[in-house]
Amino acid sequence: MAVTTPVRAPEKPQPAAKTPVRRRRRQLGTYVVLVLVACVFVGPFLLLLATALKPSSQPVFSFPPDLIPRPPVVDWFVEAWTTIPYSRFLLNSVLYVGVTVPLYLIVSAMTAYPLARISFRGRQFFFVLFLSTMFLPGELMLIPRFLVMRELGLLDSYAAVILPAILSSLGVFLLRQTFAAIPDEVIEAARMDGASEWRIFLSVACPIARPTIAVLAILGFISVWNSFLWPLVALDDQSKFPIALGIAYLSGVSGADVRGLAAGTVLSLIPVIAVFVFLQRHILSSMAGAVKG
Amino acid sequence: MAAAGLIPRVRRRSLGPRHVVGQRRWTPYLFMLPGLVLFALMFGWPAFISLQMSVSSYRIVTPVSFVGLQNFVGLAGDPQFHHAIANTFLFMAMFLPFAVVLPLFLAMLVNRPLRGIHAFRAAYYLPVVTSMVAVAVAWRYLLSQEGVLNWLLSLVGLGPIDFLLDTHWALPALAIVEGWKNMGLFMVIYLAALQGVPREQLEAATVDGAGAARRLWHIVLPAILPYVTVTLTLGMLESTRSFESIYVLTRGGPQDSTLTLGYYIWHIAFEKYDVGYASAAGLVLWLIMIALALANQRLTRRRDA
Repeated sequence: MAVTTPVRAPEKPQPAAKTPVRRRRRQLGTYVVLVLVACVFVGPFLLLLATALKPSSQPVFSFPPDLIPRPPVVDWFVEAWTTIPYSRFLLNSVLYVGVTVPLYLIVSAMTAYPLARISFRGRQFFFVLFLSTMFLPGELMLIPRFLVMRELGLLDSYAAVILPAILSSLGVFLLRQTFAAIPDEVIEAARMDGASEWRIFLSVACPIARPTIAVLAILGFISVWNSFLWPLVALDDQSKFPIALGIAYLSGVSGADVRGLAAGTVLSLIPVIAVFVFLQRHILSSMAGAVKG
Repeated sequence: MAAAGLIPRVRRRSLGPRHVVGQRRWTPYLFMLPGLVLFALMFGWPAFISLQMSVSSYRIVTPVSFVGLQNFVGLAGDPQFHHAIANTFLFMAMFLPFAVVLPLFLAMLVNRPLRGIHAFRAAYYLPVVTSMVAVAVAWRYLLSQEGVLNWLLSLVGLGPIDFLLDTHWALPALAIVEGWKNMGLFMVIYLAALQGVPREQLEAATVDGAGAARRLWHIVLPAILPYVTVTLTLGMLESTRSFESIYVLTRGGPQDSTLTLGYYIWHIAFEKYDVGYASAAGLVLWLIMIALALANQRLTRRRDA
């Protein structure tokens, strides 16, 4: 990373004296561009926050825009919390995440392990079978899954939201790659010791795959927290809505103040942004890894 | 070691191979059992129902009846369906620059060993991890007739444009929102790609006086070409799948100007309750997606050969 040091060769004093100044100026220019672009990506969220903090005496829209809340107030957060069953929506989302993500990890790992480490007939077939779910995106499965859930009598239940989110090609794929990368000697040594496949899976393979499992947990959390479309189809009962659906509901409530809507939205963003800020390096590198793999 | 390896082999023979193998034969399937059950329930069965419905007439209140290809014949002569297909490809054309071109510049911008560069990467990626509903709420303020974007336009003497209520602007506005939300993802793909660009060649070219544009064209692009196919494929699929943004921002309007295939299917199934007809349209959308993926794969293969 520190590529700057070898460039400053001591035997060439003249360019060396010139370079740092020019380099610093160019670096400053780069930072200016970086910050401007960052405004494009973070700006809309800051605008949302500013709107949520505006007092009712200050108009939301004006020409030229008056973005700084004067004075900032938290009234709208209180309003968002009280006008709709906001805490209920939040609690529901916590529940959906808390049940779905562990199941997602367990099922992904159990499915991936034999595909990577046990040789059996049809292994390739099953791998392709699980990967094929990639070509059945949720957007296309709305109608038939709705009919299946109705058949199972699960419509408008927590289970209806959870079940379709447990199996994903990404989880199976990434864990299979990870298990397959474990050196043969490690697994063979355990087999020699007479360990059963279950024992090897639990005590050898899964601990080694912990980084991948952690990444999948993060991605699973984000995807379940943000899920909107399927719950919209599967749920009628407002008391089971996850937070994203609750926000959409709030924006449909007539007479709801835009500032209240902004406040509710900001609240819904906090958990995901918090997780992201703390774990962004893992998320970014894992996405790159998933693409390379 | 040798003895340890021998003992089970002897045993296996004495007990008969079937017994030992029989115990082990089910192990992989037992591991996969939950996954297989979920696959059957949440993918296999629905896929089968999709096929069945596409050749049926079913309107929730009436019983299912087989109608052959009638749904597809109906679609072929349905102007709203044609309009939706046209919109889907139009939207794709507007979305692709945000998936294939702009993220490359973003990736080149953040592919530097600068202090704090990770924070900038994270900032650009932030919209990817947030929910479309929240993004839509934020962008509704930006795109409003009195919003910040229109104020910026007014500075250069343009506008005002009511983006989401204007039949010409609603679809481009949605492409911008979807593009903005997903750009970080494609940036990360290119970031991985740029690690494979030969640094010596770049430095040699710089010494030889090649400008940034020529370096990009002659050295960077050839090195990252495989990843361009990845972003192109993902971008195409992502754009055909876009639904949430349309649902929360325009509901297909104004005057069907943002009615894409995905939204059309939703509209027919969940607002008009014509499940059979919508399933047939869903099958068409699925075929389009598969065709796009295959075409891209073909493209990659040919180049590799």
